[in-house]
Amino acid sequence: MAGISELDQITRAANGDKAAQTALVNRNMPIVFRTAYRMIGDRAEAEDITQETFLRAWKMLPTWQPKAKFSTWACTVALNLCRDRLRKKKPVLMDELPERVDNALRPEEALASSQALSGIEAEILKLPDRQREAISLCALEGMGNIEAAETMDVSVHALESLLARARRTLRTALKPAIRAGDQS
Amino acid sequence: MTVKGITVERVLEIIEAYGAYPNGWPEEERLSAEAMIDAQQDTFAAALADARELDRILAEGAIVEPSADLAARILASAPEAPRLGMIARLKDILFPQGTRWPAGATLASLAMGLIGGYAYASTGIVYDEAGEAYYSAFSYDAETAWVSEDAE
Repeated sequence: MAGISELDQITRAANGDKAAQTALVNRNMPIVFRTAYRMIGDRAEAEDITQETFLRAWKMLPTWQPKAKFSTWACTVALNLCRDRLRKKKPVLMDELPERVDNALRPEEALASSQALSGIEAEILKLPDRQREAISLCALEGMGNIEAAETMDVSVHALESLLARARRTLRTALKPAIRAGDQS
Repeated sequence: MTVKGITVERVLEIIEAYGAYPNGWPEEERLSAEAMIDAQQDTFAAALADARELDRILAEGAIVEPSADLAARILASAPEAPRLGMIARLKDILFPQGTRWPAGATLASLAMGLIGGYAYASTGIVYDEAGEAYYSAFSYDAETAWVSEDAE
């Protein structure tokens, strides 16, 4: 599919071209999944969000307007889905408590309890949502500042502020790991 | 001190927000920031070292991949190509490259026919002139004479 513009690829995918659909998924699915995973902290749920993002993409492709890159659009949708799920998981006030208490772990708790979890992933998950989005898109996915700001629907200045705060928090939290790196 | 409109404070802000590696910095400020760092290495050494360490740890955390079958599950929900009717399928078999070429060939044939027809029609005048020349040279109409002899 080399040499085919993204718009061409989207048009073909919308018309049922399997090769174009596969290329679109292979190119964009990993970043959508990783972004969702870092936001939610649960692999299965991140995969659900990734699937939901592409379901929405398939519906939207026939009327696609090339105002943004597909990856920007897909990450925006994925982030919105993550925000919805996180909002539903936020602890409720005492007078709003339902009769049956949800025993499910909050995402950060679930993730922290996993043995497979690396220190950095746990620390990223502890960051406030917007800082986590910023650090995930820019520092981990290598997205440019303008595209990341567009994806998050914030100004570049606000993005920079979120990034700086996230990095300061992570640096403090990961001091032991950083010292270990210095010694090696 | 400034280098091409960038200040020490701004370079420190960039490192603080985007890390130690210039490829992650804002594109429009990257060259100026690099020039500033080259010119004053001591000023930025500590900030860069701090940022570099965090970048290293972040890079280690960036590797997380979805299940192997996620792509297949997503593609299973992708739209199918529209089902073609009999005429459309026949058209696909006869004109696999689309109908653009046959339509072009038809237009070209039409154009050639019109040009040929116009060229032929324009030579008719020459024949008329030749006929007139013949009649005026022999001063008689052979066909009229033959008809009148026959009548007699």
